[in-house]
Amino acid sequence: MHEGGPVLIVKRHGHGHHAVSEHFDREKMRSSIIAACLSCGVPTGHAESISRQITDEVEQWLADKFEVTSEDLRRTATHYLKTHHPDAAYLYEHHRSTL
Amino acid sequence: MDTPSSLAIVALAALIHASFQLSLSVLTLLSGHAIGTKRSQAKVLRLSWGFIIGVGVMTLLVLSFISLLLLHSFGPVDAPLVVWATACGLVFGIGVAVWLFYFRKEKGTKLWIPRPLAEHLSDRSKATKHSVEAFSLGLTSVIGELIFILPSMIISALVLLELPSAWQLAGIAIYVVISLSGLLTVHSLIGSGHSISKIQKWREDNKSFLQFAGGSALVALGFFVYISKVVAEASGAL
Repeated sequence: MHEGGPVLIVKRHGHGHHAVSEHFDREKMRSSIIAACLSCGVPTGHAESISRQITDEVEQWLADKFEVTSEDLRRTATHYLKTHHPDAAYLYEHHRSTL
Repeated sequence: MDTPSSLAIVALAALIHASFQLSLSVLTLLSGHAIGTKRSQAKVLRLSWGFIIGVGVMTLLVLSFISLLLLHSFGPVDAPLVVWATACGLVFGIGVAVWLFYFRKEKGTKLWIPRPLAEHLSDRSKATKHSVEAFSLGLTSVIGELIFILPSMIISALVLLELPSAWQLAGIAIYVVISLSGLLTVHSLIGSGHSISKIQKWREDNKSFLQFAGGSALVALGFFVYISKVVAEASGAL
């Protein structure tokens, strides 16, 4: 992470809504990756191991950044997850575009 | 129209209903969230059953309500031809609208339904933990896609009212069971261990075909009923 503290994640909520930001939450990212892996039939232990690796890689990517958008964060996590489990990466990337 | 032809029309209308994707999307999301939060397979299937029963009950209620409304408006006699022609026009119009607008032109399987409703269903599918919540989510998702399923239900109701009473009940049962066939297929795929991502990928890869098939079937249904009922009776009366 950069020296000023945790990275800010900027979220945008649809039309006419203001952008809101929050600090990067490692646990939140881990649990969403675990959920995507479990939905693809990955055993729990393996899903937790994958999620730890992806979160570490994402944290390295965030190291020199002060602020990123939630879309960038999701895209980057998907990019790393694709190398471990393409199906889980698909679900992780697209779960907001199902409905 | 004879009884087999009437039941065939009801079955086709129910198949068209089954081809609409909102309830399938909600079921996919619901199951995905349930599996993702480490719930047991039995619990996932219970939630899925609750949802499907909710969809079935609301479909039954809406179809019965439309039938009752038509019965009260026109009595036990056949509805006027102008009502049939209007219903056929509605089916035809929604068929063309489905061709043009059903899925949004972006990645995924987003539909042309109001965004607040889609967000509500998405949030509820994430928050659902009990079968009774899944049941009410099923009820709500039918309301969400009412604009697309209403024409096939109106045609079915008009056709059902022409049948003898026993066949009316059978017709309603046929409609409800066939309209649930898509959901039952997804439920059995999840039950047999298929991955949610594979199901969702299949839906996304084939969304153009599903949109074209749904729209075309509606246009064909409208055209067939118009010819076999409106034109046949109007020309017979001349």
